[in-house]
Amino acid sequence: MTPGRAAIIEGWPVFVTALVVGTAFGLTARQSGLTVVETSATSLIVFAGASQFVMVDLLRTGAPAPLIVLTVVLLNARHLLMAAAIRPFVGASLARRLGLAYVLTDEAFAMGVGWFRRGHRDLTYFTVFGSLMWCAWNAGTLMGAVFGADVQDPQRYGIDFAITAVFAAIVVIGVRHRADAVIAVVAVLVAAGLRLAGASAVAVVVAGALAPVLSFALGESRE
Amino acid sequence: MMFWATVVASGIATYLMRSLPLALTLRGTAPPWLRRYLDALPIAIIAALAGAGVAVQDGQPTGGAEIGAALAVVAAAAWRRNLLLAVTLGVIAVAALRAVGL
Repeated sequence: MTPGRAAIIEGWPVFVTALVVGTAFGLTARQSGLTVVETSATSLIVFAGASQFVMVDLLRTGAPAPLIVLTVVLLNARHLLMAAAIRPFVGASLARRLGLAYVLTDEAFAMGVGWFRRGHRDLTYFTVFGSLMWCAWNAGTLMGAVFGADVQDPQRYGIDFAITAVFAAIVVIGVRHRADAVIAVVAVLVAAGLRLAGASAVAVVVAGALAPVLSFALGESRE
Repeated sequence: MMFWATVVASGIATYLMRSLPLALTLRGTAPPWLRRYLDALPIAIIAALAGAGVAVQDGQPTGGAEIGAALAVVAAAAWRRNLLLAVTLGVIAVAALRAVGL
C-alpha cells in the first residue's frame, strides 16, 4: 500500500469527525453572530479546532482581544512540542517544512508519529493526512456556516454538545498514566468551578495553566 | 475590526508555534521541570475545556443532561478508544436526556 492510500484508509474516521465537528463549529459561530465569511476565515486562518470554539465563545462574551489571543497561545502551546518531536523525521526543504507546519494538528501529529514509528521515513503519509484534515475541517465549517443559521434550536439535536464530547473523549484516550488522570480531573473541576463562579473568560486558561503544576508533585509516579 | 485583529493575531501566533520548531534546528534540551510541565499541558487544557463546557452551555449552568452525557462519552472512550464513536454516543445521549427533561 502506498503511504497516501494508508493515510486515507487509516485516517477516514478522523476525517469524518473533523467534518462533523467542523460543521458544528460553523453552526456555533453563526449562532454566535459571525457572518459566513468571518466563520470560514477563522477556520482558514487559525485552523485549530478547540481554540476556534473558545475564540467564538470569548468574542461573544466580549472578552478583550489580547486575552483571546493569549488563550489561543496557551491552548496551542502544545504544538511547539509536537513540532519539535517530529522535527527529526522531517528532513525536507525549509519551504516544505513551513507548509507541513500549517497542517500540523493534534490528529496529524498522532497519526504521523504512528507512521514514523513503524519505520517509514516518507513525508507523504503526513502530508496527505494533514491536507485531508484541512479539507474536512474547512468543508465542514462552510457547510455549518451556510446552513447553520437555518437550524432552529440546535440544542434539541445535541449538536452544541459535540465539541465538549470531543474534548472529553480526547482526554480519556490521551491519558497515559495516573498523573495525567489526576491533572485532567483537577483541570475539569477548576474550569467548571470558575465557569460557574462567572469567570468565563479566564476559566480555561487558569485551569489549563495551573493543573500541570501538579506534575511536579506527581512526578515520581511517572515512567 | 476587533474580530479581524483577533483572528489574524491568533492565526499568526498559532502558525508560529507550529512552524518555529520545524523551521529551526535547535541544540540542547529543555530542563526536566519545563518538559514535565509542557508534557502535562495538553491534557490539562483539553480537560479544562471539557469541564467548562459541561458546567456552562450558552451562558447557563447546565442540568443533568450534559453531566450524564459527559459520563457516557468518558465510558465509551475508555471502552473503545474511538473518538468518532464516543462523540456520536455523547451527542445522542445529550439529545435523549434533554428530551426526557433533564
